[in-house]
Amino acid sequence: MSPPRLADRFLTWFCAPHLREEVLGDLHERYVLRVQQLGETRARRRYWRDVLAYMRPEFIQRKPQPYPTPTNTTMIRNHLKIAFRNLIAGKSFSVINMAGLSVGMAGAALILLWLQNELSFDRFHTHKDRIYQVYGLASAVDGQSVAISATSQPLGPALKKDYPEVEQATRVKEVDNFLIRVGDNRFTGLQGAFVDPAFLDIFSFPLLEGTKNEQLSSVSSIVITEKLARKLFGSEQALHKTIQLDSADNFVVTGVLKDLPSNTQFTFEYLLPWDYLKKPGSGWQNESWLSNNTATYILLKPNANVAAFNDKIRDMTQRYAGRQDVWTHFIYPMSQWHLYSRFENGQPVGGRIETVQIFGLIAAFILLIACINFMNLSTARSEKRAKEIGIRKVAGAGKGLLIGQFITEAFLMTCFAGALALLIVQLVLPAFNTLIDTQLAIPYQRYTFWLYALAFMAFTSLLAGSYPAFYLASFQPIGIFSKRFKRTQLGISPRKILVVLQFTFAIILGTATIIVRDQIIYAQERDKGYADNNLIQVNFSGDIEKNYGSIKQELLNAGIATSITKTLTGLTNGGWHTWGLRWPNEAPKDTNTTITLFSSDADLVKTAGMKLLAGRDIDIYNYPADSFSVVLNETAVKLMGFQNPIGQTITNRSKNQHWRVVGVVKDYIAGSPYEQIPPIVIQGPGSSFNTMHIKFNPNRSTADNLAQAEQIFQKYNPTYPFDFRFLDEEFAQKFDNEQRTKTLAGLFAALAIFISCLGLFGLTSFTVEQARKEIGIRKVLGASAANVVALLSKDFLKLVLFAFLIAIPITWYSMHQWLEAFTYRIGISWWIFATAGLLAMLIAFLTVSLQTVKAALVNPVKSLRSE
Amino acid sequence: MRRSDLGEFEEVVLLAVAALSPKAYSVMIAEELERETGNSVSTGAVHAALQRLEQKGYLTSQLGEATAERGGRRKRLFTVTALGGRVLSDVRAVRNRLWDRIIPNIRLEWS
Repeated sequence: MSPPRLADRFLTWFCAPHLREEVLGDLHERYVLRVQQLGETRARRRYWRDVLAYMRPEFIQRKPQPYPTPTNTTMIRNHLKIAFRNLIAGKSFSVINMAGLSVGMAGAALILLWLQNELSFDRFHTHKDRIYQVYGLASAVDGQSVAISATSQPLGPALKKDYPEVEQATRVKEVDNFLIRVGDNRFTGLQGAFVDPAFLDIFSFPLLEGTKNEQLSSVSSIVITEKLARKLFGSEQALHKTIQLDSADNFVVTGVLKDLPSNTQFTFEYLLPWDYLKKPGSGWQNESWLSNNTATYILLKPNANVAAFNDKIRDMTQRYAGRQDVWTHFIYPMSQWHLYSRFENGQPVGGRIETVQIFGLIAAFILLIACINFMNLSTARSEKRAKEIGIRKVAGAGKGLLIGQFITEAFLMTCFAGALALLIVQLVLPAFNTLIDTQLAIPYQRYTFWLYALAFMAFTSLLAGSYPAFYLASFQPIGIFSKRFKRTQLGISPRKILVVLQFTFAIILGTATIIVRDQIIYAQERDKGYADNNLIQVNFSGDIEKNYGSIKQELLNAGIATSITKTLTGLTNGGWHTWGLRWPNEAPKDTNTTITLFSSDADLVKTAGMKLLAGRDIDIYNYPADSFSVVLNETAVKLMGFQNPIGQTITNRSKNQHWRVVGVVKDYIAGSPYEQIPPIVIQGPGSSFNTMHIKFNPNRSTADNLAQAEQIFQKYNPTYPFDFRFLDEEFAQKFDNEQRTKTLAGLFAALAIFISCLGLFGLTSFTVEQARKEIGIRKVLGASAANVVALLSKDFLKLVLFAFLIAIPITWYSMHQWLEAFTYRIGISWWIFATAGLLAMLIAFLTVSLQTVKAALVNPVKSLRSE
Repeated sequence: MRRSDLGEFEEVVLLAVAALSPKAYSVMIAEELERETGNSVSTGAVHAALQRLEQKGYLTSQLGEATAERGGRRKRLFTVTALGGRVLSDVRAVRNRLWDRIIPNIRLEWS
């Protein structure tokens, strides 16, 4: 019987409110009439038409209100004005708050910049989703699989030839020992790579000069980066100019690449055509399927089935090499290369992603601490603001409006802090870049950066402002003006929780820093087993190897060096790994252990200052048979179970050689200082020599020694610059990674502590302010200043203590995980926590006392005079 | 007096208000016009015309009583103002004068 409800709803929606009554009334009355005249069905139909007839501007237009309606903008303007006034009214509060927030934001922003760089690694290539690296998967003797990133040289072309899914394939073999010269401009040690012509099609490194697809087709072509072009040719155009390599072959520059961005895993400065690798006599080419020495990358066709392709190429090497006991293959997508580069048992188990996650977490923590600070200080001021809120509420401000006001205040503060943070980041970025060895920059010119920055600030202000906003806006006006307010509504517990949280983060980071530092010192102070002072290493290049004898004689005769040896690699590099050794009474388990091979001609023990425990050093000049003699280290002796090692025979089955043990040296660190010392076999000149070690005469100044050594090397190897390394510096470099972790952890710990202390400082000042009268009365009644300080500090110190208790298990667990990665590691002892805890307490106490001592010394007359 | 601001429908509505006074409101007028003309007339159209006439000063209105069929809503009752009355008689005079000038046999031819 009643008219269509939907039509009514529709009308109510569009019709102006002041007309609704009469219009609806008219409609309903007419409907009743119609039902009588025409029946209900037709009446309903007509009703709809009538409703639609009201869709005229006269009925839709709303009546202008006689009173001004506050629009959103006026309200926001008001919020901003009040916010400004509040900032200025509480200057010290604002400064503390902003300092904390901006430092926190700057820290978080720095980390985010770095994270962005890490996550964008090699994501700029056009074909990024179709590029794969070919891996080998070998099964080690202990049943574990080992993923190998290097492949054999014939694999790449065979993949391209055999499988239609492969659009392009390239091999990349890195080189760094070429002498590159243009006229008198000479450089060694530059990173380069032999690549197939398809390299520049697969990877998108933009060309500045030269046309595409012609760069590496000729055997005498070379592609260089802008940086190298500048080094070699200055401001001249590099294209079609000639570069000489090793004073032997000339190359024509066919392309100049834009400098590689910091977010790519490739580090070359020049690219050489793969064909040049086939140069006779160079020994670079190795067509064996069983020698893994080259990285292979492929570009799959779009829509290629990766799983099926993986199945197809699995037994590639087995087929081509005609053996079943060799490795299988799989392909690994580009998106995983940088962040998931660690394999365990043939499965990717992470890698850099862990660091990325940890730092993401730290960034979040730092920001959270800063925000907590903000919340804490804002709520601490709540008593001062409570009356204002009460009046506002009485005057008709709703909760939403008040929340809006506090969020605006937070946003204003965040904007100032954000601008300050940007300034800090800009100032600190160069130092930060040196610290973590990257080239981060603030991308000012990208609008997305500003968008993100704004979003970041909005997020921060919401995070920091939401708690005080909701907390303060929820005050009941009736409670605010009553005397009981202080105790009931200003509950301190959420604020206490916030302080505890803050200090927990700060203590975790601080303790972690101490543990990392201890671990580094522990490894640094480990007995190296050799003396690396005054010891340098010169890698063989050009004619050094040929003239080794003469160079050695001259250096010794001139009194520059006290001892010289030529070796397989640098001492700090470790050596080569082998599995194929056999010895009498061997246990099968032991023969599977990796043994490190090293070699020397003579005087290794003397030059490196190792300690000979039994027998003698290798000396092929005095004992011609020493080509087949070996010196073992203690671990090797233990592994092979020799009671009397001298005179024992070790067999190298793959070369069918028998080696006689002539000496035993004390264990020395080869490779990582964090790992267990591997069993080492030092042989005579069985394999090649790549470097020489020189022990300088300690009675002369190092500068003199170096200058004269350079003259001698220049005489015998004129084309190459004298390139040498100090072994102690090489060894120190092994700690770079951990040093960096330490510095960063320390930096962020300092940041966290700084922000937490700012917060504590602010909080104390408000508590002290509140307790002014109480202090006065206590002093009048005979309390000493110390009593008062103790009373005021006690609460805060309790919070820090509580934070400390929470931090212990978290730190212990996470640092335990970190230390697991090192074989040679410290245990986490209780005193580390004790130190960190005491330190935190001390810092907190000092912060708190800044305020409490001042309050305790105030003459009670002052605080009690007026009431 | 400018009379171009009085549309034909407005004129009819104004007349109806005068005729139905003092019980003139949109439903009544719409019903009346429907009966008289045989075309369907929506209250919306009438209401809009009433609003315009009121704006021009030919009508005044006040809220009347509420009835059950209106769902307890009040109606807006309209009455013709003095100005409205003068406009109506002016219009009528013009028309009468014109009617009087029509030659009688033409009148016959229509039928």
